[in-house]
Amino acid sequence: MAGSRHILFVEDDHAISEMYSRILIKNGYEVDFAYDGAEGLQKALNKHYDLILLDIMMPEMTGLEVLEKLRGEDGSGAPDTKIVVLTNFAQDETSVKAQEDHADGFIVKADVVPSQLIILLEKFFA
Amino acid sequence: MAKIKSTSSSTYKGETLSLFFIVSLVPALFVGAIWYGYTKSTHSDSIYLSFHSLVLPVMALGVLPAILLSFLFAELLHRPVRRLQDAAREISNGNLSPKALDALEGGEFGEIAASFHQVALKLEQSLSQAVSETALIEAERNKLRGVLNSMSDGVFALDGSGRVILFNKAAIELTGRKIGEVAGQLAEKVMPFRSGGELIMTRWLADQEGTGHHIGEWKSLELYRADGTSLFVDVQAATLHEDPNGIRTLITFHDLTKGHQLEEMKIDFIALAAHELRTPVTEIRGALDILASDAKITPVEDVKWLTHATNSAEELSRLINNLLEVSRIEHGSASYDPEPVNYTEYLKEIVADTQRHIVESGRTFEFDVPTRLPKIPLDHDAIKEVLGNLLGNAMIHTPSGTNISITVKRVEDTIQTLIHDTGDGIPAKAVPNLFTKFYRAGEMKSKTRGTGLGLYISRTIIEAHGGKIWAESTVGEGSTFGFSLPIKSPVAHVSRSKDNKTNNITRGAHGWIKTHTIR
Repeated sequence: MAGSRHILFVEDDHAISEMYSRILIKNGYEVDFAYDGAEGLQKALNKHYDLILLDIMMPEMTGLEVLEKLRGEDGSGAPDTKIVVLTNFAQDETSVKAQEDHADGFIVKADVVPSQLIILLEKFFA
Repeated sequence: MAKIKSTSSSTYKGETLSLFFIVSLVPALFVGAIWYGYTKSTHSDSIYLSFHSLVLPVMALGVLPAILLSFLFAELLHRPVRRLQDAAREISNGNLSPKALDALEGGEFGEIAASFHQVALKLEQSLSQAVSETALIEAERNKLRGVLNSMSDGVFALDGSGRVILFNKAAIELTGRKIGEVAGQLAEKVMPFRSGGELIMTRWLADQEGTGHHIGEWKSLELYRADGTSLFVDVQAATLHEDPNGIRTLITFHDLTKGHQLEEMKIDFIALAAHELRTPVTEIRGALDILASDAKITPVEDVKWLTHATNSAEELSRLINNLLEVSRIEHGSASYDPEPVNYTEYLKEIVADTQRHIVESGRTFEFDVPTRLPKIPLDHDAIKEVLGNLLGNAMIHTPSGTNISITVKRVEDTIQTLIHDTGDGIPAKAVPNLFTKFYRAGEMKSKTRGTGLGLYISRTIIEAHGGKIWAESTVGEGSTFGFSLPIKSPVAHVSRSKDNKTNNITRGAHGWIKTHTIR
C-alpha cells in the first residue's frame, strides 16, 4: 500500500518501538530503529527517510534537540522528510516547541494505538 | 574638673611658703631695727661701734630660725594640701574612693576631705547609673539588631523624606546591595520595582502625611537587584507617626523565589508523573490493539502481547501506589508495623511471581539466599513494596537476555539484600541522587523510566526500619541496589492503626478485609 516508504523510528523504549513498528512493517513500510537521540540524528543525516518518528525523553539527546538540528535555524532542513513527534511527554511547552521548530506532527502515544497511528501517517503520503 | 583643682593647690603651695617666710622674717627685722636705733642715739661712738658690730650676728640669729620655722610650717600646711591634690588626681584617674583622703579625716582638712568624699560619691553614683543605662540601651539595641538580622524578610525603615535610616541583613542580601549603597539613600533607588512599583512607593510616602499607625496590604512585585537580576517579592509598607524625626515608613519584603521554585518543581513533577502514567497506558492499549486488530496473529504472539499488557497494567498500578505512598509520607501518615519474619520464606513467596515474569521475558534469574537466617522484624507490605520497586526497576532497565539476581547475606547485625542486574547501568553522577524525591522531575534526557518515586519511597521505608539503602552502578555493566535490615529492630513496635488488631482487619496492597472468626 505504502510502497517502499522509509521510516526512522527514534525511541529508547524497545517495547514501544516494537509495538508500533509491528503494524508499520505489516503494512509495507521499511523501518529503521534508533534507540537514543544521538543515534537518531546520525541515522537521519546518513540516509534519506520519508518519515521520522521522534520520541522526546531519550538519553544523549532529546527528540526536540534532534528536530532542531535536522530542521536547522530557519526550519528549512530535511524538506523532503516528514518529522513527527511521538511522545507521552506532551505538555503545552513541548507541543509548542515542536511546532515552532517545524515538526510535521505531534502525537501523544497514550492517545493513539498502533492501528490509529498508521491511519494518521498515511495522510502524509496520500 | 579634678585637673583644675590640682592646679589651684599647687598655686596655694607656693603662696603658703612665701607667706610663712614673710611672717617669720618681719619680727626678726623689727627686733634688729629697734636695737640698731637705740644704740645709735644713746651711746658713744666707741660704744656704738662695739654695738654696731653685734647687730648683724643678732639679726642673722633672728632670721635663721624664722627661715627654719617657715619651712616647718609650710611643710605642715602643705602635706594635707598635697593629699587633697593626690586624691583629686586619683579621682581624675577613675578611682572614686581615693585612699589619700582617709588620712585627712578628723584633721583641719577633715571637712574639705568629707566634701571631697561626697563629691566623689555622687560622681560615682551618677557614673554607675550612666554605665548601667548605657548597658541597658546597648542590650536593647543588640536585641533589636539580633531580631532584625535573623529575620528572613527584608526590612527598610525610611524617614520623612523617604531615605533609608535603618535596614537589616536580609534587606541587604535580597537587594544585592552594599551597606554603603543603602544607608541614607532614597527608597526607590535602593529597591526599584518593575512596572507599577514606583506608583506604590509614591503612595506609601504620601501616606506619611496622614495620622495614626497604618499597615498596608501585601503586594507582589518584581524587585530589581543590584546585579541586574530580579526577584519576586511580597512587599508591605507601614506608616508610623510616633516620632516625627524618626522612622515614618517601614517596608517589609519577603522572597517568593523559594516558593516559586517548589511550585515549579511540583508542576514539573505532575507533568512527569502524567508522562510516566501514560507509558503503561500506551503499552496496554497498544498490546490490546494488536490483539484486536490482527486476525492472523499467531498463538505465540497472542500470549506475548497479552503478557505485555498484563505487565504494563501491573506497572501502572505500582506507579499509582507509589504516588499515594508519597502523599502518605508527605502527610506524615505513613507508618510501618514490623513483625518478626522468616526472611528466606518471605523472599521466596514474594519473588515467585516476579521470577516467572523475569524468565518469561527472556532474562535469567538467580536466587542466592541462605536457608537459615535469624528472624528479622519487618513490615510485610512495606518491604514487599521495596522489593517490587527494585526488581521492577531491574526489569525495566535491562533488555532481554540479561541476568537479574537476588543475593542475601548476613553482615554483622544486619541482613543485606542485593539486587543485581547486568543491564545498561546508571551514569556515575546520577547515582547519588537516585533516592531523592522528585529527582527526575524536569529532566528530559533520560534512559530510565519511572518518576523516581519508587526509590524515594524505598529509602523512606528502609530507613524507618533502621536500615540503609544504596546503589552501585557501572555504565554498560549493570547496577546493584542493596538494602540492609537490622536483625534487632531499633524502633519500637508501631502499629499501622490501633483498630487493626481489635477489629480483626487484615491490610494489604489491595485494601483491607475484616477477618471475623466464626464460632
